[in-house]
Amino acid sequence: MTSKKTIKSAFESMMFVWGEPLDVRVAAELFNINWKDAYDYFIELKEEYEQEGRGLQIRETNKNFQFVTNADNVEYIERLCTPVKEKRLTQQALEVLAIIAYKQPVTKGEIESIRGIKCDRVIEGLTKKDLIVEVGRSNGIGRPILYGTTDSFLRHFGFTTIKELPDIEDIAGAMNLDDLEEIVETGQLAIEF
Amino acid sequence: MAYKVKLDMFEGPFDLLVYLIENSEMNIYDIQVALITKQYLEHIEKIKALDVAVATEFMVLAAVLIEIKSKMLLPRFKPEGELGFEDDPRAELVEKILEYKKFKQAAELLDRQEEYNQSIFEKPKEDLTRYTREPDEYLNLDINQFAVAFTLFLNKKKRVEEIKKNYSRVERQKLSIEDKIKQIFKFIKEKAHKKITFNELLGEDDGKYEKIVTFMSVLEMIRLRAIHVNQTITFGDITISMNEEKRRGSHDK
Repeated sequence: MTSKKTIKSAFESMMFVWGEPLDVRVAAELFNINWKDAYDYFIELKEEYEQEGRGLQIRETNKNFQFVTNADNVEYIERLCTPVKEKRLTQQALEVLAIIAYKQPVTKGEIESIRGIKCDRVIEGLTKKDLIVEVGRSNGIGRPILYGTTDSFLRHFGFTTIKELPDIEDIAGAMNLDDLEEIVETGQLAIEF
Repeated sequence: MAYKVKLDMFEGPFDLLVYLIENSEMNIYDIQVALITKQYLEHIEKIKALDVAVATEFMVLAAVLIEIKSKMLLPRFKPEGELGFEDDPRAELVEKILEYKKFKQAAELLDRQEEYNQSIFEKPKEDLTRYTREPDEYLNLDINQFAVAFTLFLNKKKRVEEIKKNYSRVERQKLSIEDKIKQIFKFIKEKAHKKITFNELLGEDDGKYEKIVTFMSVLEMIRLRAIHVNQTITFGDITISMNEEKRRGSHDK
């Protein structure tokens, strides 16, 4: 059995070479170890880089690990190579994405009823950007397509898993609605029915 | 153009409604429907002036607002023991607004996350073929074996060259149907009574390919009604004559 130190060191090298997110299960297979152990090693590595405040950090997306730069260094990287900034998503796109992220799997009809406006074009655009994907069909009338978010979505917004999204009621809580929370909850129930 | 800016600000009917309610500092649970409806309709008028298609999207909510406004005018009876807001005609609207606001805030959160994540760079996957390419192959031979193999190779090359010397590559001239048709026309015109037989068209050295091209050309000319064709006996020779009418017709054009 290869020592933990060797495996961790190997994982580090593998991430460097691979560039793209490296699947924990793939990495674990190479050493014939349990993927949960491999996952722990990756997390340890990730924490080590964080604690030392290295210029490289390890980012996790859905049990995939990848080397990325430290966000604090953005200014210097831009000085070095003036990277072209990706175009930001529009307000519309973000709204639709937020609804899909929180309510997935969700149909276009549900999204449109929350926003009160048609979303075909936005959904098309988000699909093209690989941020959302068709995840199946609802059993409702006409069997409408259900949408969900992708790993690209997680990466784009820096979430480890979809569970990491802050609780939607907490975001609302920031709006001084504390005393009315009960009513909000009632409203939520009514919609779910 | 000032309107356009405003239009872009509202992503949908609820966006506009939330803006109007917040702007007039109203309690969301006690919306002054009359005032809001008035402001909302004013905005729709502005949007309509620019883009009717977009304005229609706002109409449904306008209708809802007006309906609520009219219901508010009617006296309401609260059944004993029931919560007040359930009887409120605005309740459903409030629910929808709150639902929308939640996602609007989630969108803001995503916006912040996106901004932060743009300061993080990842490396695209590089070309790994440098490491995965097939390794170079080495021949496991001693010098004598190699010398033998090399002599064999030289001999073979010599033989091939000798053979090549005695032969030269000949390209056959390929004839197209278009060219053949021109030839046939010329041939017929040169004849005194403008009448020829198919066999006359065939040269003695013509191979299968030329014969087929000639026949195809004749077929094509028949299709174009440029010639008359006659065959008196089965398998007999075919007589070909110009279709003078057609020729005159085409000249007139």
